Amino acid sequence: MHLTRLDHLFWAAGFLGNLGLLFVLCYRRLAKKFPFFTAFAALGPTRSIILYLVLNYGTEHNYLYTYGWLAVIDTMLQLGVAYEISSRVFRPLDVWAQDVRSSFVWLLGLSVSVALGLSTLANSPVRTWMQAVTYKGDLFAAALMSELFIAMMALAFSARLRWRGHTAGIAKGLGSYSLVTVLIETGHSYFGGGRELPVFVILSHVRMAAYLCCVTYWIIDLCRDELPGRIMTQEMREKIFTLHAGLEYDLQNLRSRNKL
Amino acid sequence: MNTHNLYFVAAMGTFVVVLISTAGYYYSRGLQSSQASWEELLAKLARIDRDNIAQVALDLVDESGRPRQSEDAASLEPWRLWRLIGGLEGLELLEANSDVLIEMAFYVQQWYPEAIVIAERLRLDAREIKWHVNRLKGAAQKGNLQVSFPFYAQHAVATYYLMTRRVLGLYEAGNFSMLAELQKAL
Repeated sequence: MHLTRLDHLFWAAGFLGNLGLLFVLCYRRLAKKFPFFTAFAALGPTRSIILYLVLNYGTEHNYLYTYGWLAVIDTMLQLGVAYEISSRVFRPLDVWAQDVRSSFVWLLGLSVSVALGLSTLANSPVRTWMQAVTYKGDLFAAALMSELFIAMMALAFSARLRWRGHTAGIAKGLGSYSLVTVLIETGHSYFGGGRELPVFVILSHVRMAAYLCCVTYWIIDLCRDELPGRIMTQEMREKIFTLHAGLEYDLQNLRSRNKL
Repeated sequence: MNTHNLYFVAAMGTFVVVLISTAGYYYSRGLQSSQASWEELLAKLARIDRDNIAQVALDLVDESGRPRQSEDAASLEPWRLWRLIGGLEGLELLEANSDVLIEMAFYVQQWYPEAIVIAERLRLDAREIKWHVNRLKGAAQKGNLQVSFPFYAQHAVATYYLMTRRVLGLYEAGNFSMLAELQKAL
């Protein structure tokens, strides 16, 4: 496989960008807070090293096989990131907000169905079944991830749940990247694959450029402090919790009368 | 371009446009509410006659907020309830105000993360008010508003009344300087 100077440049930039992101996650002690996202960031440089070695010392078949498996791991980790974000947004008090559970499940089902429908509709001009599975799989993953991140944002805003801080930054970045990937995978499915096609090479470069923008955004966002929180005095805490407990009791009574 | 590819490109184009429009709509909506200052939040509160609200709520709950157990509880006549609340339009104002009350609790939560307990409770209360109002809108479409209004409307008002008390209590507990303005507004 012949790689141009631009390919090497993108590869090196992606590798360094991912290392930078990993450094920020560890230095700012965010790795514990976002374990899936940290694993996703760690997969970038690992993938670059593995693919570089397979490209130089393996066959083209080895390369495609490794690429396919790494893509599966990448999608699993992105789903993990989606879970991480949803559990931070929709579990404000460490339990799933009761009013969004059913909507969330409904949106999840809809997202999977639409992504499945679109990937079934794709009819790529491919030479091997492996290419067909890879393109359909990539399109499914890109469509699903973009739907999930936008659905989570829409649900959070409709339910008046907080959508801010590092959690929102990660979601915005990954959601935007997934949306760009949908367009790129549409191109791949339409034109077919292979480095002999100029359009395939252009689309791959666009994807790498989009990912670099995304990594840069994450690095800047994660370097920033979230809004600083103050600690309540004991007196304030007692007043608030007494008020909360009292009104909670009253509302429960009111609701039980409501049901009668 | 064959027909199948045409369908595929059209489906993908529609999909992307729908996603971008949805994201844009909700993002701009969220941006407006998250960047609101205290003055903007206060200005968003619609003026509602607090005496009327208290009268309707206190027909169902007592001064301390506990549901009234006596026989004269929930004794307001339907026509009087309608007038005090201001009909369905009045309830819609309460619904809009309940969203502002959540924003006010989140405003405090910016500095005191522990206020999330109150904010989350208010969020659920606001959802309950929306549920009551939606039931009434559905009833209005079917021509059953007169039958359903007293029950759902009074419960929505009582929930709103308790929401205002929660927010006032939160600002009072935090000894925030905005308490006086909030007391005037609510």
